[in-house]
Amino acid sequence: MKKTFLAAYIFLFYTSFACAHFAAVIPSDDIVTKDESRSIQLDVKFVHPLEMHYMEMAKPKQFGVVHRSQKIDLTGSLKSAKGKSPDQEKAYTIWHAKFPIKRPGDYTFYVEPAPYWEPAEDLFIIHYTKVCVNALGLQSGWDEPIGLETEIIPLTRPYGLWTNNLFSGQVLLKGKPVPYAEVEVEYLNESAGNPAIVRAPSEPYITQVVKADANGVFDYAMPRAGWWGFSALSEADRTITRGGVEKPIEIGAVYWVRTVDMK
Amino acid sequence: MFSVFRIAILSIVVATLFATPSLAHKINVFAYAESGQVKIESYFADGRPVKQSRVMVYDSEDKLLLEGKTDNEGLFSFAIPKVDDLEIVVREILGHRNSFILKKSEIEASKAAEKGNN
Repeated sequence: MKKTFLAAYIFLFYTSFACAHFAAVIPSDDIVTKDESRSIQLDVKFVHPLEMHYMEMAKPKQFGVVHRSQKIDLTGSLKSAKGKSPDQEKAYTIWHAKFPIKRPGDYTFYVEPAPYWEPAEDLFIIHYTKVCVNALGLQSGWDEPIGLETEIIPLTRPYGLWTNNLFSGQVLLKGKPVPYAEVEVEYLNESAGNPAIVRAPSEPYITQVVKADANGVFDYAMPRAGWWGFSALSEADRTITRGGVEKPIEIGAVYWVRTVDMK
Repeated sequence: MFSVFRIAILSIVVATLFATPSLAHKINVFAYAESGQVKIESYFADGRPVKQSRVMVYDSEDKLLLEGKTDNEGLFSFAIPKVDDLEIVVREILGHRNSFILKKSEIEASKAAEKGNN
């Protein structure tokens, strides 16, 4: 009995610290120049980015892109696939999409996943996730909100970032800044070009945590080349009924940026 | 007093004019083919149009096919002059220039799409 208790305690201890969930939208490129292919491929998945663990992702409620203030729905272009980390036995559903860039400017891709039931936390999770792809030299649009329930507005231009650059953003909930929002930051270990898997010496290294100021503005310097996810979590003012019980919803504002080493 | 105020306003105006980042002076050119036309957009990185600037269009053998001028939105369009790789050069009054190659395959694809629509 005592042993079971201890096991449960250890399990809870590790799940609460180790598992920062991140929805991710990772494009094949974040800057499209005039001499490159203008076709972008996107991976949409639900992961523990540093630990490279996948979770099941149901078909997103909406997936699209905002370009020159125009929203284009791309939900229909999503194709399911399977993904897993080397140490996961089972493969989980992820989503792929292709998007042809036609015009210059910033393309902000966004996803609203279907609510994810997390039994360990007794809540649903919805991570509103964005990533920006710049096309053909026109650097315009990246700093505009797109009207999600919660979202991060970049204050640092979110592409063309060097390793060790500071990324600053503002956390919005229903269009208003979230004072002292807690922002979780993780490195995507499976970033293309990552020369070696990063292993965290202890739990706190996995997910970095920064707090926003009174205006919901946060900063973080990214120490390695690859993709970095920023996730600000809030509790929604609505619930979802599960088995006749009202369950809270954790809503996340997630933003992904890529850094490149100075060479 | 009034002149001090005027100087202050003038300095703000001048400061604003010169405050645009140098990156913004780089001209960008983009072209695409649609409905039998080649459409050109020329813009600075921050989105301002490259207005009233000279446009030159060359074929793959460097022969000048036509010349034109961007409008106040930085746009210029013309009927597809030749199914070929087209080099589109935009040069603004201070000499900044850039070019874009509209590939033959893109022109062919637009022609095929047009046929499909008819």
